[in-house]
This record gives sequence, C-alpha cells and structure tokens, in this order.
Amino acid sequence: MFDKIMFATTGTPVCDNAAHVAFDIAKKYNSKLHMFHVLGLPTRGFGQVVVDTRTGEEESYDLDYISWVGEELKNTYDKYLATCKSCEIDSIAGIPHTEILRKARKIDADLIVMGAHSRQEETGATRYRGAVGTNMQKVARGARCPVLIVSRPCTTCLWYFSNIVFGTDFSKASFSAFLFAYKLAEEIGSKLYIFHSLDLSQVHAGKVVPQEEIEARIQEARKKIEKLYVPHLKGYDNYEVGIWEGIPYVEILKYSRAKNADLIVMAHHTKEVDPDAAILGSTVEQVVLRASCPVASVNHPDKVSG
Amino acid sequence: MPEGTLCNKIPVNTKEELLTLLADKSGKTYYEEMNHLDVDHAALKTTLDKSCKSRIRTWLEICAHCGMCADSCFFYLANNKDPKQVPSYKIQSTLGEIVKRNGNVDNAFMQKTMDIAWGKCTCCNRCGMYCPFGIDMGVMFGYLRGLCFSQGFVPWELKIGSGMHRIYRAQMDVTSEDWVDTCQWRMEENADDWPGLEIPIDKENADIIYTVNAREPKHYPEDLDEAAILFHLAGENWTVPSVGWEETSLAMFAGDWEGCRLQVQAVYDAMERLKPKRMVVTECGHAYRATVIEGPYWAGLKSGKTPVPSFHYVEWVAEALRTGKLKLDPSKKIKEPVTYQDSCNYIRNAGLSDCAREIMSYIAEDFREMRPNREHNFCCGGGGGMNGLGRYREERNVGLKVKRDQILATGAKLVISPCHNCWDAIRDLEEIYKVGIRWSFLKPILLKMVIVPDHMKPVEE
Repeated sequence: MFDKIMFATTGTPVCDNAAHVAFDIAKKYNSKLHMFHVLGLPTRGFGQVVVDTRTGEEESYDLDYISWVGEELKNTYDKYLATCKSCEIDSIAGIPHTEILRKARKIDADLIVMGAHSRQEETGATRYRGAVGTNMQKVARGARCPVLIVSRPCTTCLWYFSNIVFGTDFSKASFSAFLFAYKLAEEIGSKLYIFHSLDLSQVHAGKVVPQEEIEARIQEARKKIEKLYVPHLKGYDNYEVGIWEGIPYVEILKYSRAKNADLIVMAHHTKEVDPDAAILGSTVEQVVLRASCPVASVNHPDKVSG
Repeated sequence: MPEGTLCNKIPVNTKEELLTLLADKSGKTYYEEMNHLDVDHAALKTTLDKSCKSRIRTWLEICAHCGMCADSCFFYLANNKDPKQVPSYKIQSTLGEIVKRNGNVDNAFMQKTMDIAWGKCTCCNRCGMYCPFGIDMGVMFGYLRGLCFSQGFVPWELKIGSGMHRIYRAQMDVTSEDWVDTCQWRMEENADDWPGLEIPIDKENADIIYTVNAREPKHYPEDLDEAAILFHLAGENWTVPSVGWEETSLAMFAGDWEGCRLQVQAVYDAMERLKPKRMVVTECGHAYRATVIEGPYWAGLKSGKTPVPSFHYVEWVAEALRTGKLKLDPSKKIKEPVTYQDSCNYIRNAGLSDCAREIMSYIAEDFREMRPNREHNFCCGGGGGMNGLGRYREERNVGLKVKRDQILATGAKLVISPCHNCWDAIRDLEEIYKVGIRWSFLKPILLKMVIVPDHMKPVEE
C-alpha cells in the first residue's frame, strides 16, 4: 500500500511522535523510507548563508554542513534506523513546504508523514493560530499523496488501527480522503466510520435553527453518504455512518473520542492558507491541533484511486 | 607567480571547481590565498590600454574634488559623513591610482580596492546624478570591478556566482531540466484552482516571452504561479523558454564580462529561437539592467537593443491595469499607508518611475512617497551584490539605516518592492532593526485584488 514513505522532519522533538509512526508504517509495509529535512531558510540574496531551521542560527550552506546535519539526523533517529530496512536521508536548504512537495513529487511518494508544527511549543488547543504552521497546511493541501500528521504520541501502531473515522464535507477532495480511509480500513481490517457534521456555527451569531430543519438536513446528509460513498465499499460491511450537528471540528473530535478512533481521515482543501487571513484556521487545522490520534489529510485522487 | 587553488585569476568553469569553491566555508581558504596572490602588472596594463578609454580617463581627470557627490551617497550618510565614504574619494583612491600608476599596484592595494569596490559601493549610480560634471562613479566602479575580477580579487560569493552563470546559465544551480520540471510541477499544483492555467514552454511566436530570477524556481516557485495566473487572467499569449529563462547576472556584480556575455546570449538566443513579440522580466531590478540595458553591449549588438523589445514587470502591470486586461476590485485597494521602493536599476537607471506611480494609483488609497524618491531615491542598501557578501555584512547593515529612516518617515508599514534585491534588503533591515514594517512584491498584492471572471473559477460540484 505504501511503497515509498516520506518522513518530513524538523529533526526536533516535535517530530518524535511522527518519527515513531513513520518508521512503524515503513516496517509494516516494507516500504522504502525517505527521511527528508529542510535544514535552513535561504536568503533571497545569493549568499551561501542559511538560517538553520532548528537553531535559528545563521550557517554557511556547504557540503560540510549538509553532511553534518545528515549525521545529526542519523544520531537523532538511530534507534529507528536500526530497524529500518531501507532508508534514505536527504537534507536541503529551502522553504520547507516547497521542498517537501517538490521532493514528494520527485520520488513519487505514497505517503508523507510529518509532525504538526515546526516550533517547539507544546501542542495545545489554546494556540489557535499559526501553531500548526503554514508549512503543514501547504503540504497537506498540495501533496498528491495522503499526508499523515502526527502531533501526539500515537499509542497504537498503524496496523493495530481499529477505528478509522473519515470526516466528510462532501467536497470533491473528500472523495479522495474517503478512498484512502476505505482502502486502509479494508487492508487492516478496521472499522470505518463515515462521519459528517452539519455546520451549525451560525447559531453563535444568534440564528436559531428549527429542530425539523436539523433533522431534515441530517436525513439529507445520510442520503448523500449512501449515494456517494456506500456503493464504493463493495460489500465491505464493517462500517458505520454518523451524522452530528454543531461546529464541525468540535463534532468530529467528540465523535472520534466516542468511537475510540485511532485515525481521522479528512480532506484539507481550504484555499486560505495565510494564517492572518484564516482567523480560526480550517477545520482540519483545528482537528490536527486537538485530536489525540494522527490525522491523515488527503486531497487528490492520484495515490488513492484505482 | 603564486596562484591559489581557489583564489586565482581563472574564472570557475566546471562543476568540480564550483563544488571545491563552495566547500570552502565562508571562503576562509580563499581569502587566505588572496593574501599571496600576485598582481599581473603586464596584464593589468594591457587591459587598461585596451579598455580604459577617454570617457573614464576624462572623468578621473576633471573631477574637481568639489564634494557635491558626498551627500548623495547613502554609505557616506550612514557612516557619520566619513570623508573616506565620499564617492569621488573612493574612486580616485582606487581606479584613479591604478590608472595613474598604469597598473603598477601591489596585492595590498588590490585587496583595499576590492573592499571599496564591493564593500563601499553598490553601483547605484546616485552620485552620478549630483556631479556637476556628470561624472558617474557607479559606472567607474563597475569598470573597476572588472579589473579586480580579471586579477582574481573578487569576493568569494561572487566568484561562485559568476561560475554559476558560466556553468548553469543561471545564478544558482538550476538546470534547464530543473526549470522545465518546476514549470510542470507548478501547473499541476494549480490545476484544481485555476482550470486551464498553463505555463507554456518554448511556444513560438507568443506575444510575451517571460524570464525570471533563478531564485524563483529554486526557492519561491509561488512567484512563478502568480505570474502565470496573472498572465492567464489577462488573457496573454505567453511562454517561457526552456533555455535562456534566467535574466539575472551575478556575473555583472562580479565584473566577469565574459560570464555576462554568456548569460545574456542565452536569453537573446531564446528570443531569436522563439520569436516572441516582446519580453517581460519578473520583479527584479538588476536582471533588467543586465539583460535589457547593459546586455546588448556585452553581446555586441550594434543597435544597443535586445533582439525583441523588453519590458520590466512593472511596465507590464501598468499596461495591464491601464488597458483593463487585469481588473481590480476597487474595494480591495490597500487602505493602510503604503510606500514604494524605487529600485535603482529600473527606476534611476532606466526611467520607469511613472509606471510605479501609475500602479500605486490603482492599488493604494494612501500611497506615501519616500523622500527623496523616483530617480533620486536611495539604494535599498543591498544592491550591486552587497546582500550576498559575507565579508561586507556589517558594512551592508550600517548602510541599511538610510533606507530604514526613509521608510519610517513615510509613516507606512507596508513597502511595495518589485525587485528581489530591494525586497531582500528591506526584509533584512526589519530583521536587524525591528521597526515593524512589512514588504511585498507586486504579484501577491495584485492577486488579492484582481477580479476573477466566473468562467475562470474552478467548478464546484
């Protein structure tokens, strides 16, 4: 299912949980693991100086420095590397999301695994803005393959995933997310939860929605799920449909908790990636920040259809 | 005569040489070797005889030492009016001496000359505007850099930079394959949001051939997306060449005239090959100067003009907004005070200041001019290669103070800067002095306010 896995890491403790998951999946699927680190931000000028992503210090960008960073990465992940059959380590200077996407395209990655944010602040729901980082958002949105974002310790290994929650907003991108969730569920033999949340965010603006309307919309969503997704399950009957109402990210988190989800799959196709403009960020950003399990973002059919 | 393995009179021409030079951390060995580099007096004399003609000799001769150029130099102002920063002094004590002594100068002199030619002058040519005799010290410093380069006295990064051009025909190690691949990648990336968006490669007889700065495909491919989207919205029939796409010239900053020629020739060849009606270059000042203003002479074009008419991006933007090819939503005009960084290379040295004002009139409600402005504006502080030179970082940072104070005096917190070098210098000055300003190229600003016709929007199901 995953021949080539790319683990995009900052090389800092923020990515420890993601490392665990990345190496685990690579082991399970006998995949080739490409560990990729964007070591520094270049200047717009042409100088050979980069700002190291980990230390924030200016470093001169040359072969010495690249190999030193490579050694550092090897040391950081030595216990995992010992168990990994085939792992390639690569570092480059650049803008992280650009280089991650470029590399993923080049190696034709089947899965990208990454941590949730690039700074060392504690993961917490209190940090609404910017915490998840535009890098993660841009990778999640642009990648042709599924992107698995791991921000908390993942207590189970991927092949033990027993409950996969697929959250849908019925968009085109969501269909790709569905295909991935279904394939994974079928492969692992886990239960698939197809979930939709009616967006009632407007109640905060004082709009009262009659119960009949809510119920009608729930019926409507159920019909959509039956039409859009169920026929593609091809007889796989280990699934359940859930439709709740409220603020989408809150509902998907509550639902996932109720179902003991160990993986949430969603599409991240919001156009706004400028953290200043997206005041509360997208639903997927909120879910990534708050969920206790990994979140997979899938937006394109390239790696999941067929 | 001692020639270093890294620091010598031979330009970098192979990938191996380039890698060896790059591996020398911050040019430590390179500069050490420079201490032992001999000056080839005979060669220097020959070069002077051949290339130092009446214009420069007259300029050096007639300088009246009046000091009118002093206050025109931002380095002079930023360094507490240090007399050693007066442009006429800087050029007389370097090029003036070399000419006077007919090339009979030593290593220490050449190193001092290098430190002045790259560390105390950005070739912004502002002083030339204030000289009562019209003596252009910027032009002479450009010439002086060429002499230094031919003798191997050139800052480490610029020896690398000129080598990049010689090997890759780009200021960075971006090959033609990398470039084409990046164009294709960006098309895929934007296909969902912009149905029908294309980055046409090597299309013949297009209206516009678009050329860029290698930084863009290398590190900031969004810039290429934005350019493609704006051309798409404007309905332009455009193309990019697979070879000859890079318009910048670190070779020009280095004084490597052969490297300059090779670089512009690649662009001119693309023009000849694809026969576009005109050329538009990205938001880069020195790229425009190199390819459009100086390039024809390097390439030996008698007309002094590029093979097809060539335009800076601001010219295209002004035209697209004036003619309505791009329509902006007036309600989205920038409301906050905003200022504009006049780039020396396409404003002072190419006269495009009106285009910039026209654009600002369409996009900003409260445009604030810097003082002085237009042709009289000060260099950002990072021109002429200054931004990338580790050896002169401190000098550069001191020089940035003039631009900082100019920006602060406008009261604007946003600076539009359609030039890579200026953009970089302004970013750095914020990093160093933390004055709370933001800076932007034009493309992202335009994309926020442009009206997208319904038929060009993605179809939602």
